[in-house]
Amino acid sequence: MATRAARKAKKAAKQPVSHRTWALGYLAVAAVMFAVYQYALPWEGLPLPIYDFLQLWLPPSSVNEALVYVICALGLNIVVGYAGLLDLGYVAFWAIGGYSAGWFMSNFFEQWKFHGLSSVATTEPGLHINFWLVLVIGGAVCAFFGVVIGAPTLRLKSDYLALVTLGFGEIIPQIFFNGENINGFNLSNGTKGITRLDPIPTGVKDLGPFDFGSKFVVFVLLAAIMVFISLQLRRGRLGRAWLAIREDELAASMMGVPLMRTKLASYAVGAVAGGIGGVAFATHVDGVYAERFNFSISIFLLAMVVLGGMGNVWGVILGAFILAWVNSTGLPALGDTFNSQFGTEVDFPSFTFLLFGLVLILMILFKREGLIPESRLRLVLHEGDADEELKPAHEEEK
Amino acid sequence: MSKKLKALAAVGAAAVAMSVVMTTQAQGATTLVVSTDLPLQGGSKDQSDTTNEAVALLIKQAGGKAGKYNVTLKKYDDSTAAKGSWDDAQCAKNAQAHVANRNEVAVMGTYNSGCAKIIVPVLNQDPKGPMLMVSNANTNPGLTKPWNAGEPEKYYPTGKRNYFRVVTTDDNQGAAAANFAKSEGVKKVYVLNDRQTYGQGVAQAFTTEAKKIGLTVLSDGTAGEGWDDKQPNYEALFTKIKALSPDMIYIGGIFDLNGGQLVKDKVKILGDNKTVKLMAPDGFTGYPDFLALKEADGAYLSFTGLAIDFFPKSGAAAKFLADYKKEYKHEPTGAFSVYGAAAMQVILDAISRSNGTRADVFKKAATTKISATKSVVGKAISFDKNGDTTNRDITIEIVKGGAEVGLKVITVK
Repeated sequence: MATRAARKAKKAAKQPVSHRTWALGYLAVAAVMFAVYQYALPWEGLPLPIYDFLQLWLPPSSVNEALVYVICALGLNIVVGYAGLLDLGYVAFWAIGGYSAGWFMSNFFEQWKFHGLSSVATTEPGLHINFWLVLVIGGAVCAFFGVVIGAPTLRLKSDYLALVTLGFGEIIPQIFFNGENINGFNLSNGTKGITRLDPIPTGVKDLGPFDFGSKFVVFVLLAAIMVFISLQLRRGRLGRAWLAIREDELAASMMGVPLMRTKLASYAVGAVAGGIGGVAFATHVDGVYAERFNFSISIFLLAMVVLGGMGNVWGVILGAFILAWVNSTGLPALGDTFNSQFGTEVDFPSFTFLLFGLVLILMILFKREGLIPESRLRLVLHEGDADEELKPAHEEEK
Repeated sequence: MSKKLKALAAVGAAAVAMSVVMTTQAQGATTLVVSTDLPLQGGSKDQSDTTNEAVALLIKQAGGKAGKYNVTLKKYDDSTAAKGSWDDAQCAKNAQAHVANRNEVAVMGTYNSGCAKIIVPVLNQDPKGPMLMVSNANTNPGLTKPWNAGEPEKYYPTGKRNYFRVVTTDDNQGAAAANFAKSEGVKKVYVLNDRQTYGQGVAQAFTTEAKKIGLTVLSDGTAGEGWDDKQPNYEALFTKIKALSPDMIYIGGIFDLNGGQLVKDKVKILGDNKTVKLMAPDGFTGYPDFLALKEADGAYLSFTGLAIDFFPKSGAAAKFLADYKKEYKHEPTGAFSVYGAAAMQVILDAISRSNGTRADVFKKAATTKISATKSVVGKAISFDKNGDTTNRDITIEIVKGGAEVGLKVITVK
């Protein structure tokens, strides 16, 4: 078994799949899905079974939601996967991004009135800034906070760093949670959240709640930008510096890698992705709620990165997609299908925690290094396998 | 895997696929789908389960029919495992699923007002709709009445009202509680809230009404003072309050948010609930842990709608409760579950008077008139122009010997 795995690994190492192939694959999958959601699904002539099947197992809103998770997971991958800094509070950036959308794309601040290239009627009170600009603002605000939070934090190592990030991940959502009355100023509307955001303007039309296809393209584009950033940085000087820190911080600093600056860069870039994901998520849901940004979401994102393949962009995308899908659609659809198929009344929602845990355990047991592992990480995790290869072949067969 | 096995597996898979296709086709076009949209995981699970049971029973008793239409029930879950409670993204997804399900005509739900604020605008813009939604538990006023900026208009982009609810709102509950306090001879009151949407809403309504009817409100702010649910104890808070010598403490909030400790410390510092009265809204009802506290004895509670105690002892409401117990061998966790069945009654009634399309079903709901003899909550159901129930009943209860005992029903004008 072990030799087979090792042989497979060697084979994979010999034929590296180039990034261009991956990019083409990504584009092809996106194009097919777009065609399905834009043209096939609204088509009245589509046979009902196929329509129902798609709506049950792969509804467009769950795909769009998964894409938001992909964006955030890619950001976290830069921090955790590339630079090896365990971040347990990533949801804070998601929250800041989400609230940026809430502040700048709704009538929440009714006391002010500002319209920045927005397609909303100019009579509307509140701050209304174009979605594409808000993406930039959200990303910038998050990068700023990434540096602010990172500067005092990143002097710490491993477990200590994880604990401090956990703290920040708790503090920032709490600020939004309790920010209804800060000396009379309503920052976040507390748990009531900010609802009804401006639609995404595309120049041709504003994307309403049923324009999945177009929203899908927007989210795919944002995810693609994150992929591009991840890959380019990984290949460059900064990426190699991150990997060096991940493998051995002391050695890296001895070789002249400026630890603080490099770590801060990873934190800031990761935060930008969180901000963009947050803005995208807020428009997907059409609102921002403080309750969303709890600790379990940080862990969920971390699980996506680890299960997908830490450090491997494609693995992380796959991991994020699968976990988000299992959580939002897979488990409920499985329950529905099971009950209708066998005429039972099994209370599946009671078992979702169990099933979800089981999926995680199985994946860690059988694909520890992730679905699409990074080649370096695979070598590290299979150090034991190399020893076994020295054993005589006939012993292996038993 | 051998070739034979593979072929067998392929045939098996094809058979399953075929049967899926057959069953979906067999359900045909004339059957309309009605759905529930509730959080089936996390803290609200029990409440949601009994609500689903009550709704299923109601449809079963109607023979799966609404007028000339066959109806089937589909249950949606608006919570997820990753979040462990209602999930805003899941609400957004369900909203789309309701619209995408071609035979679905109406939704019963949601439990959380926040979730409704996501779903209602989407159903409202349904190209074949708007689609009808009737809630059994949303008490946030903003969904139907002017409350915060842009509410409620922002939830109805098409301008048509497709949302109704069979329970009354938090503003009515707070007002009724204030009036009750006055009738009990309370002069000075201190208001606390749990800093959440619901708790603040009730506390604010209580404070406003209390000031209007001439009670002295000792706490600052429009909704009183917020309590922090992560505090280990509240002795300092109540010591501060003691200096102001209130006659009553009003706790606007949910018991889950460390309410037990709050009540314990209230009694410890200010004395029992006879000396200084204690009152809480329906966020404290239906919790066995609260009732088990000896410090809870003598506390007043209010509930939006009729508590099960106040359902008529004969007629449709009593019969439905008896049938429920017979069918499921346990009691519903609270009146919200029975109100779920009442909401479904509204939906079935609207369908029976309609031509079976979404656009017509929602129109018919506005003119709902279910008589008291038929209603499963024992009171006639109809809606005002906002979509709120015309039954503005608030039940006042007292905790006595570890149980909620109904005192009286206040009807808000």
